Amino acid sequence: MDGTALATLGAALAAVLAGIGSAIGVGLGGQASAGAVSENPELSGSCLVLQLLPGTQGIYGLLIAFVMASKAGLLGGGDVGVALSVAEGWHYIFAGLPIALGGLLSAIYQGKVAVSAINMLTKKPDQAGKGILMAIMVETYAVLSLLISFLLVNGI
Amino acid sequence: MIVAMKRMSLIALKCDEAEILKALQDIEAVQVIRMTDETAASAELDALEQRGARLTDSIDAVKPYAKKDGFLTPKREERLEDLRSKVDSGVSISSEVEELVRTKNALKAEHEKNSEVISSLYPWLYCPYQMQSIGSKKFVKVFAGLIAAKDLDRLKEQDYLSAEQFGGGSVIAVIVACHIDDAKAASTFFKTVDWADYVFPKLDGTPLQAQDTLRERNREIETELAELEEKFKTLAEQSNALKDASDAIRIERDRAAAGTALKRTKAAFVLEGWIREDEKDKVEKAVAGVTDAYSFEVFDPTEDEIPPSVVQNNSFNRPFEAVQNLYSRPDPKGIDGTPYMTPFYILLFGLMLSDSGYGLLLMIGSWLYIKFKKPTGMSGGVVRVLFWGGLSTIVWGVLVGTFFGLTLNDKIGIFPLLFNPMEDSMMMLGLCFGLGVIHILFGYVMKMKVAFMQKDWQTAIFDALPWIMIILGLVLYLVPSLMGGLPPIVQTIGLPLAGLGALIILLFKGRGKKNPIKRTISGLGELYNVSSLLADVLSYARLFALGIATGVIAQVFNDLCGMLMGSSNPIMAVLGFIIGCVLLVGLHLFNVAINTLGAFVHCARLQYVEFYGKFYEAGGREFLPLGYRTKYTNIQKNS
Repeated sequence: MDGTALATLGAALAAVLAGIGSAIGVGLGGQASAGAVSENPELSGSCLVLQLLPGTQGIYGLLIAFVMASKAGLLGGGDVGVALSVAEGWHYIFAGLPIALGGLLSAIYQGKVAVSAINMLTKKPDQAGKGILMAIMVETYAVLSLLISFLLVNGI
Repeated sequence: MIVAMKRMSLIALKCDEAEILKALQDIEAVQVIRMTDETAASAELDALEQRGARLTDSIDAVKPYAKKDGFLTPKREERLEDLRSKVDSGVSISSEVEELVRTKNALKAEHEKNSEVISSLYPWLYCPYQMQSIGSKKFVKVFAGLIAAKDLDRLKEQDYLSAEQFGGGSVIAVIVACHIDDAKAASTFFKTVDWADYVFPKLDGTPLQAQDTLRERNREIETELAELEEKFKTLAEQSNALKDASDAIRIERDRAAAGTALKRTKAAFVLEGWIREDEKDKVEKAVAGVTDAYSFEVFDPTEDEIPPSVVQNNSFNRPFEAVQNLYSRPDPKGIDGTPYMTPFYILLFGLMLSDSGYGLLLMIGSWLYIKFKKPTGMSGGVVRVLFWGGLSTIVWGVLVGTFFGLTLNDKIGIFPLLFNPMEDSMMMLGLCFGLGVIHILFGYVMKMKVAFMQKDWQTAIFDALPWIMIILGLVLYLVPSLMGGLPPIVQTIGLPLAGLGALIILLFKGRGKKNPIKRTISGLGELYNVSSLLADVLSYARLFALGIATGVIAQVFNDLCGMLMGSSNPIMAVLGFIIGCVLLVGLHLFNVAINTLGAFVHCARLQYVEFYGKFYEAGGREFLPLGYRTKYTNIQKNS
């Protein structure tokens, strides 16, 4: 396998794994939201925000994948940039790992917190802010993963 | 600033009770303390609760038919008297709505039942007999039912039964007759086969005719339902009257609930409550306006009475109380963090978004929302916070030279004024950590301030000051080695300063303990917190990361739409341009929305955990004075 293919794999892993995490997280949140809204339709606004929170990891993954792709010259249309060495290709894969794995797991756990927060809303509808904060505490680690992945890709 | 709270006690004549409560509700300054523990609320309160619930149900029932309020339509301003005058008409409209809902439900239920009967009659369509004529006679027992086709032959084998089948299929309708003496044997037989008894509906004619009758009736019901919809629409035009009545009842209910909290004698009542110290004259004036037969006392709360927590800030800081309330109201004995948190909130919020275009969008959007919707309470606070955050975002955006994801440097050479975080990522990280250190340092300064305010100089000198020394010392020691150009003396005082701080902690952290070993151990334990200090500083890396998230995603969206627009085929180019423009607007709006949410909450987290964690005492109760807690309207005061 040449370096370009490896770089492509790195970008794909970042986007796909973080995306899977977000899909699971947002899915969990959506199920809980549907239940909460069926009890009290006025909650739909806060529930939507809570459901959306685990969605950011997918965006972070996309972001890193895009930065990698443009850096590796994968977006040029016809001509596929300069050929990368195999070592460089591996570099891309490793650089993407933080957001790929950090995004995958943090989105799932953030989704679980969001579910609990939505359940809390059905009992205490005025506590939406606190629920959002609880979920944001998990998000911290996705943000840190994003930062490290970005710095690593930038350093290639 | 935390407002000092006083306890008040008012004794007056029962005949003035209603008027006094009305006057107190109008000034919205007294939180009534419940002096009775009887849970049996008054009949008046129950009646009001019930009326309120009925009005709410009616409002919900006509809601689908009513004209929707626009997103920016503010709450209606109404005078209290106008609201009160709407109660009677509101209640009568509500009765009409309830009647309509009942009729609608009854018709729907009938329609559903008819449909069920129609479908249950399908197997009997070939039965030519009047349904009401089918039944047992003196010597003949008649069974009607459905039998599985596979069991039909077994039925015919029973020679004491006479059966007539209608139609075919997998399940067949049959009427079976036998002598009354064989009825038992027949019943036993039916249990051994796949048989279901069928009871004919109480309708005239053959099954076919009955189906037609029912279909006819359902068509009638459908027209009636359509007419009902029209009636709902007419009533929905009056939903404002319903809402006004609902608010008026809500006001009455709050007053009645306050009434149940009073202690009473035969002729007098006692009202105990909380008031703000600066409003005691206002309260007394309101009471004096009703009667001169009263005793009004204001006194300090006792040690075990915890007053509600009220803060007051100038109009610039006030919106940020919403951010603080999201965390917790301050303990009445602590300090209001709002004015100290505000500048950092604005500063850090802008750094997280750091795009001048997005800042502009946010600022204009929240300004329009404030101008037209006139929001109050929590949402009012949050929107104003976003306004200032937008301004800060513009400033940071100009400093780093970005506009909707475009790098301004490409157009105008002077940008970025500061540096481009995407290229100088180490500079950007340094800036974030630097701001973090200042923020945390300020948190410890606040801890000293609070300790001095509570006359606890030991906490200030032994717990807060050493940490300030340690942080300052480490900064002085580390920064010159990174930057250079500073006199070496700065570096040489750094380490001793930090060391002195550490020594103070080691010696005095366990100052309550006599045993020197235990004392040193608790000092060491406190010193270990240097690791959590490090974690606190590193936490500010999120400023950079969220900036990347906003900036790079904006770039990605620009690039994607650029690809769409860049086709060489002229038709595709025009088409791509149109789609690209629409997409660009939508994607950027999405990006602003999601990153504003992120910046708002991550910035709040930095305040709550890294800053408030150092000095803020949470756990205050909300001050809930008797007042006008309306849902649909704002009360216009006379004065």
